[in-house]
Amino acid sequence: MEAEVTIVAFQDIFQNEARKKGIYTDEYRQLSAQIILDKQDITRLGVKDGQRISVKNEVGGVVVAAKISDDDPHPGLAFMINSPWFNQLVRDDVCDTSIPGFKRIAARVSPSEENVTQISEILQRMRA
Amino acid sequence: MVVCTGCSLLCEDIELVLKDGTISQAKNLCRKGHAHFQALFIERTRPMIDGREVSLDQAISKAAEILKSAKSPLFYGWSNSTLEAQAAGIDLARRLGATIDDTSSFCQGILMELVLTGKVPTCTLDDVRNFADTSVFWGADPSNSHPRHLSRFAYYPRGEKRQKSYEEERICIAVDVRKSATARLCSNYYFRVPPGQDAEFIESILAVLDGKIPRFGDKKRMIELGTVLRKTEYGVIFPGLGMVYSLQEKMDLLVRLVAKLNEITTFMVLPMVDHYNMRGFNQLLLDETGFINRVSFQGGTTVHGPEQSVMAAAKSCDAALVIGSDPLSALPFGTARALAKTSLIAIDPRRSLTTDAAKVVIPSAMYGLEAGGTSLRLDGVKIEFEPFFKSELLSDEQILAKIKEAI
Repeated sequence: MEAEVTIVAFQDIFQNEARKKGIYTDEYRQLSAQIILDKQDITRLGVKDGQRISVKNEVGGVVVAAKISDDDPHPGLAFMINSPWFNQLVRDDVCDTSIPGFKRIAARVSPSEENVTQISEILQRMRA
Repeated sequence: MVVCTGCSLLCEDIELVLKDGTISQAKNLCRKGHAHFQALFIERTRPMIDGREVSLDQAISKAAEILKSAKSPLFYGWSNSTLEAQAAGIDLARRLGATIDDTSSFCQGILMELVLTGKVPTCTLDDVRNFADTSVFWGADPSNSHPRHLSRFAYYPRGEKRQKSYEEERICIAVDVRKSATARLCSNYYFRVPPGQDAEFIESILAVLDGKIPRFGDKKRMIELGTVLRKTEYGVIFPGLGMVYSLQEKMDLLVRLVAKLNEITTFMVLPMVDHYNMRGFNQLLLDETGFINRVSFQGGTTVHGPEQSVMAAAKSCDAALVIGSDPLSALPFGTARALAKTSLIAIDPRRSLTTDAAKVVIPSAMYGLEAGGTSLRLDGVKIEFEPFFKSELLSDEQILAKIKEAI
């Protein structure tokens, strides 16, 4: 099962705190590598809270954990915390203002059997 | 008292006791500030060349050698440096014919330019505390980004003309794509706007203020919002990244909205910049060149434009000096990869993806804790701070002076 979503990035004080403790910590990865999905999308994908999700688009892809949204219904709209995981999906060919579209990323999400992407893998991709 | 450089509020009332490598007592620190200060003891950088630890002098010499031989160097970061270090950086960029840009280039730059060039009225945070009865957090979530904003300025405190505070006299409005922590606090005054539709939302407010029927959003709620805005005595719009990324080239709509509101009452704009001295860099570069960011000094001229943004320059530069910033974590993958593949020099107190990918790493003192200086708060008020304790580490300003000397 696969679904198309628009992902919006946001800031989270707990993830910010975890980043200060170190970008290679489990806490930082757990708080960063997650996607918040609407209950309807979660049901459609047949996944549970915490289950691994592949998030892909034409820029790149990551495997993160699913988190069920506690917001009002927002099917088709997903949220990810600003992080290197999210930035794997952000285009760098930008419009006239030269500002990337951090707040509107189109991506495909599907259940995954792979491990959550490690930050060391992201660094390797940058160096490749 | 210590000044917290954890965000652009630059809180000056912090009391700290450090003991055995940790914060043993703290007063007035928010969660973000506490993490910022505690970071003093975690993941500090060491001088490195190609992943191998070297002496500080060797790292500085190598950085100077790279920059001296570069044909089109990029200087990036600056929002977490003091005014003194920023001035030294602009001077060095000019001497080397480098491109210089800061974090505002991909976040609040468009808005900050409107404020610094007087295209929208602005005020200080002290004005907010003393006079504001309506605060509009638009695509901004201070509960997560500027945790003491509501308690020190916008909502909870009593001010000169706001003695009854939030209980009776202050309203906070949240306009956001998601029900953020701040939006939950605003309760009835939360307006959800789908991604990319802030322009339509503004046009609807303008219609309501003109006595017309709004075309976007729930008509009844939009009319209620118009009534609240009309009844405001002193309002402040705090735009965050949500608004910037949504409006982009339609930022003139915000200018129109603020102009319209000021025909009716008083409304100010204060961008919710994140890093503690982004505004300082924008102001300094504006004073020096007429532009707030994205400037190239190549060939002895001053050029400004999208090609001078970090997004473009990362791909065209042959060396990059990154100071107090982690673009490999914060920027899109393509830009991050371009920076990782260039001759990258990172000046930073703490380990990051950028320092891990850098050819040269130069450790620096943490401002506010180990080094003093001057910065501009998000509202432009100049804040001076002294180091909290002595450190052998050099400040950004001292490192730049040494690089300049070596070149």
